Amino acid sequence: MTFDWVTFGFQLVNILVLLAILRRFLFRPVVAVIARRQAETEATLAAAGTARAEAEAEARRARAEAEATAAARHDLLDKARAEAEAARATLLDQARAEAAKIVAEGAAAREREAGAARAEALGRARDLASVIAARAFEAQPPGLSGYVARLTAALDALSPEERSALLGGGHPRLAAPAPLPPADLDAARAAFARFGVTPGTETDPALIAGLEFRSDTGAVRNSLAHDLDRIAEALRDDRAA
Amino acid sequence: MIDTPLSAAPAFALGPVTVTWPVVATWGVMAVLALASILATRRLSDRPGKAQAVLELLVATLDGEIRATIPGDPARFRALIGTLLLFILAANWSSIIPRVEPPTAHLETDAALALVVFVTGIVWGIRALGLRGWLATFAKPSWVMIPLNLVEQVTRHFSLMVRLFGNVMSGVFVVGIILSLAGLLVPIPLMALDLLTGAIQAYIFATLALVFIGSAVNEADAPRKEDRHE
Repeated sequence: MTFDWVTFGFQLVNILVLLAILRRFLFRPVVAVIARRQAETEATLAAAGTARAEAEAEARRARAEAEATAAARHDLLDKARAEAEAARATLLDQARAEAAKIVAEGAAAREREAGAARAEALGRARDLASVIAARAFEAQPPGLSGYVARLTAALDALSPEERSALLGGGHPRLAAPAPLPPADLDAARAAFARFGVTPGTETDPALIAGLEFRSDTGAVRNSLAHDLDRIAEALRDDRAA
Repeated sequence: MIDTPLSAAPAFALGPVTVTWPVVATWGVMAVLALASILATRRLSDRPGKAQAVLELLVATLDGEIRATIPGDPARFRALIGTLLLFILAANWSSIIPRVEPPTAHLETDAALALVVFVTGIVWGIRALGLRGWLATFAKPSWVMIPLNLVEQVTRHFSLMVRLFGNVMSGVFVVGIILSLAGLLVPIPLMALDLLTGAIQAYIFATLALVFIGSAVNEADAPRKEDRHE
């Protein structure tokens, strides 16, 4: 076995040359591309971090804006609600006032109409009473003799059976609104003498005026009160018809 | 093919200088590695292809190994350790080419490799500790250890050389003997085993070189660590 120093020298140089070659053409380019990619990755990560931070800031800003918008909406709604409540209250007050005014006006109108109606009814009643009274007074005879004549005529107008039943009843009497003076009583009794009866007397202020024959079986009405009743009854029958 | 692996056969002469076959084979390995490197790194991009991915994996693995052994920037030793690994691997595997004997099967090549590691360790030791500090490391833990440390400094690199030489040379030797005795196809399993042995030996040489260089550099880091602890 020999050791070739020339070969050793060649190999030493060869190794150093190979070291330089591989350093220049293999390791340096590969390390450079790795470093470049790492730098790009870090830059991308940094950019992503920045973008993320910006996105988070944007999201926070958007949230704040949304909250502000919600608060403003809430305030607007509250304000609108308050305004609506106020307007509603105002409208209700106005409506109540108007309704009260209408009711008052209606009541006043009704009161006026009722007053007018009452006045009209009173007037008509007054007119009617005037008419009734006028007609009743027109129908009254002048003086007691006239009432006696009308009373006897009424008795004459009765059928004999009715007349005898009336005259034959107990307690025949002449009713007058005031005690008859003796002269008038005598005149009246004289007129009744042809019917065979001498009536007594009776005072009835409700007759107002007139002279009526009454017995226990009936009566012959002949007074102002009776006439008034008849006229009023006739008027009621007319209104009913 | 040479008659004995223990001597380098001359290939040609350049005047008074005789160029042996291991040197020629080394040139071939260098040419292949250089050409492959140039081709592989010609179109590096940020989106790596398969070849680029393999290269980046190689560099990342190298950096990881270096960083695990020597704290600090792995770029200081990346080219040296990577060159040793790739060259020894390529040289060992050159045996699969007919009539080519691996350069590492000759002592001169392994000695040159060991010398590079030896000198690198000294240079980085002095660089890290200074000349006095580096010399002082031979007196640790006691001055009594100076002779032993000096001998160790030589013998561990010598063992580095002999280990590679013995493993590769023996493989070539055995294959040559069996080929001469048995026939063409019989040594194939042994050649395959040689490929495995060659890869392992390349890894072992590169790792031990890293450990030897790192032992010098880490001597410098140790006091700093103690300072930090204090």
